[in-house]
Amino acid sequence: MIYTYKKIISVMTDEVSTTSIKRLEDGAFIPFDLANTDYQKYLEDVANGAIVEEAE
Amino acid sequence: MASIKLRGDTSGELVIEAPAVAGTNTLTLPASTSTLATTAQTEAIYNSLGVRNLIINGDMKIAQRGTSTTGITGSGIYLIDRFNISGNGYGTFTMSQDTDVPSGQGFSNSLKLDCTTANASLSASNHMVIVQRIEGQNLQHLKFGTSSAEKLTVSFWVKSNKTGTYTNEFYATDGPRHINKEFTINSADTWEKKIIIVDGDTSGVINNDNGSGLEWLIWLAAGTDFTSGTLQTSWDTANNTDRASSSNVNLADSTSNYINITGVQLEVGDTATPFEHRPYDMELQRCWRYFYKYPGNPNIHGCLYSSGKYIGHIWFPTTMRTAPTVSNLTGNYNTIENIGVSQMYLMRLADNSYLSTYSADAEL
Repeated sequence: MIYTYKKIISVMTDEVSTTSIKRLEDGAFIPFDLANTDYQKYLEDVANGAIVEEAE
Repeated sequence: MASIKLRGDTSGELVIEAPAVAGTNTLTLPASTSTLATTAQTEAIYNSLGVRNLIINGDMKIAQRGTSTTGITGSGIYLIDRFNISGNGYGTFTMSQDTDVPSGQGFSNSLKLDCTTANASLSASNHMVIVQRIEGQNLQHLKFGTSSAEKLTVSFWVKSNKTGTYTNEFYATDGPRHINKEFTINSADTWEKKIIIVDGDTSGVINNDNGSGLEWLIWLAAGTDFTSGTLQTSWDTANNTDRASSSNVNLADSTSNYINITGVQLEVGDTATPFEHRPYDMELQRCWRYFYKYPGNPNIHGCLYSSGKYIGHIWFPTTMRTAPTVSNLTGNYNTIENIGVSQMYLMRLADNSYLSTYSADAEL
């Protein structure tokens, strides 16, 4: 299953986050950490054409 | 260096040798008839001390996610902490934390898998495994990749209506390499203890990191993609076709099928010692490294960070394996930020910021 993701605007910096992404199916926040298996899946999904929505 | 040699009545000799150093050394024997411990016996005693079970939550008593989940069909499914169900095309199962346990062993719980929709005709890629992954940095004392690689012994209790052959696998992720052994459930609906001993891997190194170093698996169903080769009964490069026995049962072939497992213990050496019953709090804290569920009372509140911005600084109860995925969120928040191994920030662009629930997942 390929998930759908969305970039987030950091409340702290008012910029698009460079440290995490949101998985829309369950609202999970996934940190950009190569040892995190959900981040590994995110990279795999992106390589397989997953939709990554822009932040609003 | 002097020595005394005693010749046996029929064969064999015993040599008592003085050390090649100056001074007098005294060896005092017991004042009664007795037997000196062998190296293996001494090591067995040594290994029986301390935190010797490499499996976490082997007695299935920690279940932060709940006590039952229905409709299991796929991979990466957790209920009881640290034990994962993976595969595909194995029908549908319910997984629960059961109270059926072997009598007289001190267990309170077992992991139960109950088939609710059968698949009696597995396709080539269909399979079902139960697995626990162990961090590489907790396995360095196995000395894999050296001539001193330690043997491994896994023991567990199992009960099923489905008698026959199953496959136990150790899968060293960094190679990947593996070793596989058949075991048999002999009597239906009867708790049986299984003990499987394998050699250490003198060739494959387990990386000293926080990634998966070794997986312990039981194959519950296996299509021909995993059985068409020859079961790999000594350590070698992993090959999917050699992973499960060609005689492996298909636990998914009937809705009458179930399996219960508990008392899983993996230890160094070739001796299965009694199960190490660790305290609940100790086991819970070990589980938290991989998954933590905030129970939801009281709410965790934020405070003013800067004009119009509110922050809640939330610490995890222990250092997690890696920065976790944060989900199951309820409360008032815009984002979760700065997620690290020890803490995260709850952020909101309005006051009354709080979280009622969240889960932090750093599983392997």
